[in-house]
Amino acid sequence: MERVVRMGEASASNTPADVLACIGLGSCIGLALVDRSKGVAALAHVMLPSSAVPDPPQPHKFADLAVPALIDLALQHGARRRHLEAALIGGAAMFQLGGSGQDIGARNTAAITRLLGQAGVPVRASATGGSTGRTVRIHLDADMTITVRQAGGREQRLLGGRAGTEPKAVCA
Amino acid sequence: MTAFTDLQLDALRELANIGSGNAGTALGSMLGKTVDISVPTAAVLPLADAIAVAGRPDELRHGIVVPVVGDMEAIVLLLFPDADARTLCGIYGIEPSTPDGRSMLGEVGNILGTNYINVLAQMVSMTLEPRPPQVVEDMLGAILESVLLGRGEDVDHALILDSSLMVEDEQCSLSFLLLPDHGGVRQLLERLGL
Repeated sequence: MERVVRMGEASASNTPADVLACIGLGSCIGLALVDRSKGVAALAHVMLPSSAVPDPPQPHKFADLAVPALIDLALQHGARRRHLEAALIGGAAMFQLGGSGQDIGARNTAAITRLLGQAGVPVRASATGGSTGRTVRIHLDADMTITVRQAGGREQRLLGGRAGTEPKAVCA
Repeated sequence: MTAFTDLQLDALRELANIGSGNAGTALGSMLGKTVDISVPTAAVLPLADAIAVAGRPDELRHGIVVPVVGDMEAIVLLLFPDADARTLCGIYGIEPSTPDGRSMLGEVGNILGTNYINVLAQMVSMTLEPRPPQVVEDMLGAILESVLLGRGEDVDHALILDSSLMVEDEQCSLSFLLLPDHGGVRQLLERLGL
């Protein structure tokens, strides 16, 4: 079953044949965590680098809260911490709107990358930056394949398949 | 949570009605055709729902963004399904996904945005100035979330004033959204004495 993770939401699964998806990511980041040995995946649709308040109603909106919360969610679904691998998708700059929102996509990407580093979770693949939107899907199949699609394009494999065969990061 | 009373939403809808009416008339004179405008909707929605209202997030849209600066900050966003963008550009014998097509769509955004904003500015005695339009062709969800978060602020809810414009004798309609900043909405309502 495909579960769509909307802005500010997160979802996790350990059910084979489930698909977790963030559809139409612009400046937001689809943060994917997988434990391929256990068949567990978690996906958050992160909107902004940091929260202004300590306990907001939707923690997954904010990178600073989403990274630890998503790791916890993956562990609750049976992932083992030292087997977690991350992929980042989105963070585009589609418009030049000026003001404090300038480069929000790049700042989201930087914040999540830094926080994953602090948490000791390696980033195995990323498709970030550029000026086009993206859709990410995590397929809970035998390979825990993560695919990315841009508008009008095909689904491309970002992570998964046989070890060592991952394509290089897809950056627009 | 941002709450507006029904009276306030009615007033904002009326502003949108007059603004989009003026904008539609201007587009009509550019095209030499009658342009009909639907009664606008005014809604305060959680961001994720705001996207769902506009369509499926992976649907392709031609999006034209007209940033508005001055006494209030806002964004005017026009959304064309691909077929409608083709019809509109086809009136001039051009394709939408070409430099000429993007330029044409940008000009449509300019005319609609400027006329919408001018009449709004007059009604509420504000100085408002549209910036040059930016044209993209992408997934609806990606366009909307980038615009809604474009100011980099935490927003739970978006005020969306949505009108549809239909070009007579052509299968062409577009969505016309005014997305004011939070502070901007309060200012608008204050000027209206609400």
